[in-house]
Amino acid sequence: MAEVVLQLIGASCRHYISAPLLTKPWRKILGPGIAKIDLKLHKGAILGLVGPNGAGKTTLLRMLSGILPLQKGTIISISQQGGQTVETEFTTSLELRKIIGHMPEQVRWQGKKSVLDAMIEIAAMRGSSEHRILGLIKLVGLNSRIDSPLDELSQGMRQRLTLAIALLGSPEILLLDEPFNGLDPVAGQAFALLLRELSGKGVSIVISSHQVSGLIGIIDRIALLHRGQLLIEGEIKSVEKELELSDRFDLTGTSQPPSSKLIEKLGMKIIDSNIDNDVWQMQVKGNADGVLKNLIREGVDVESWQPHAPDLVEMLCSSTGLRVEDVGLEITSSAFLPLLQREVEEE
Amino acid sequence: MSGKGSFNKITSLIVKEKMFSTRMLLMFPILLLFIPGLAWGFSDPNIILPGGHRPETPMEVLFYSSLGVVFGGTMCAVLMSFDGVSKERASGVLEVKLAQPMTRLHQTLALVRGTAIAVIIPVTILVIISIFIIRYRMGVWPELMDVVVHIVATGLILTWYTLFTLIASSKAREQGTAIAFGVGIWFFFTFLWALVTSMVAFASGIAIGQESDPSWIALEGALDLFSPNGVYHHILESRLPDVQRGVSGWQIGIMAIAWTILPLWVLARRMEDLVP
Repeated sequence: MAEVVLQLIGASCRHYISAPLLTKPWRKILGPGIAKIDLKLHKGAILGLVGPNGAGKTTLLRMLSGILPLQKGTIISISQQGGQTVETEFTTSLELRKIIGHMPEQVRWQGKKSVLDAMIEIAAMRGSSEHRILGLIKLVGLNSRIDSPLDELSQGMRQRLTLAIALLGSPEILLLDEPFNGLDPVAGQAFALLLRELSGKGVSIVISSHQVSGLIGIIDRIALLHRGQLLIEGEIKSVEKELELSDRFDLTGTSQPPSSKLIEKLGMKIIDSNIDNDVWQMQVKGNADGVLKNLIREGVDVESWQPHAPDLVEMLCSSTGLRVEDVGLEITSSAFLPLLQREVEEE
Repeated sequence: MSGKGSFNKITSLIVKEKMFSTRMLLMFPILLLFIPGLAWGFSDPNIILPGGHRPETPMEVLFYSSLGVVFGGTMCAVLMSFDGVSKERASGVLEVKLAQPMTRLHQTLALVRGTAIAVIIPVTILVIISIFIIRYRMGVWPELMDVVVHIVATGLILTWYTLFTLIASSKAREQGTAIAFGVGIWFFFTFLWALVTSMVAFASGIAIGQESDPSWIALEGALDLFSPNGVYHHILESRLPDVQRGVSGWQIGIMAIAWTILPLWVLARRMEDLVP
């Protein structure tokens, strides 16, 4: 496993929300946020930070980028010096911001200022050279729009500009909040390749998303966040295994679907099945060796057979014990609700 | 780039952006009309002001022309700064900036300096044009010290209004509220302060508006210290002979410092705690 470069230990940050009373019109109480998170970022690894709306993904990224202060806990930088591991606690957010590049979600760059001037302004805050700016503009494909006013940029171009700005100062850690929003598929693919290239150079990357499927093939590790709590974190395969979501397959076919007895005989279990007119769909779990061959031999008309990638809802249901209906449209309330399985409760 | 170099670079970019904005383009003719326009009018050798008064010295003309700064210049400062924080906060640009390794205090100071300078430069140019107009119309140059005091005081009042409006902008989550705050503050000190003065005078049993009554003059002078426009006029009056409003130079100096430091401190505190 790659070495750890940054570690969050018991990190908490909760937002203050307005809760006026007749006698105290400006009263504020602690609202949602992040509760006691322990997280490690590995050198050159891409971590997918996944969770539903209001899970605390943006808050966690803001904590990591030094925008929001830690109310509890610490952030430690870990480096190798002379063959020894050196741990340094960040005493100010300024030090943290020097090694981090942050790309917030959907920044709407606007005004008559040019792309170059917008970058020069931020570069001045980071102490980056103008030579580096031009290189980054070229890297994100905005070379032809270098003198264009920000008002004339499309959302995709604005995303590219935000990425270029996040890369100023050659950060060791790159935090990307929903980076694929607003990018067309071609740009999205190029973006994913760029992230791979950066991770190959040793940059640790965190990508937040509310969709697991969009991150498959890009991320090395996954962290599941829900109601401000980190439910699970690890390599994708190990997370799937721990949540008992591995070894699942999606089957579709026509005419008669295979019976549950047949599936059980082949050493598998039906998780879900659905028949619509002549077409049936089925999700099965178990060791897949030879199953497809045996199904066809038994005369089952199988049209497709593919491994099932678990989605966010399945992961949440599996890790919290909540039902789909409870996870579906539920948004974090002003208080943390204790989760069922992970037992990370509010103090 | 050094810390100071970065600070100056950011300031200059803000100045460039604001000074050549559409808003300034719209405000400039109004400023032209208000500042050199009033200087042209008040330096007319045949002008007779209400009460039979006649401006006789260039500093007197500059003093009367300062109305243009009070009405036009401060409004320009409000219009330049009302979305100084709120716009970037709403668009997400503020989050990008706050994630950079530059302290929030330095970012705030660069914003204040950049926005204020973007207003001060055109207003000062117009004040200098006014001085040439006065020379042309009256045949006399104002004293160098009069010019310095006038320009410094003008810079101060524009900075104060920039600060008030930036504080409002840091509080407001959207543009409508931000502009309502900014224009509200401008309206209060520019138009409603007279009402406040009258109410205090009434409550103190002093006859309102009696220019020959020493107690009214003293009260008005004292209350003016609590208004940025009042302090501005106090500073300008310090260069006029025969004006005694019961306020000493050190009081004016302290209030000028207070009107600068306090809003700056409030804004810095506000920006330190700001969640993008």
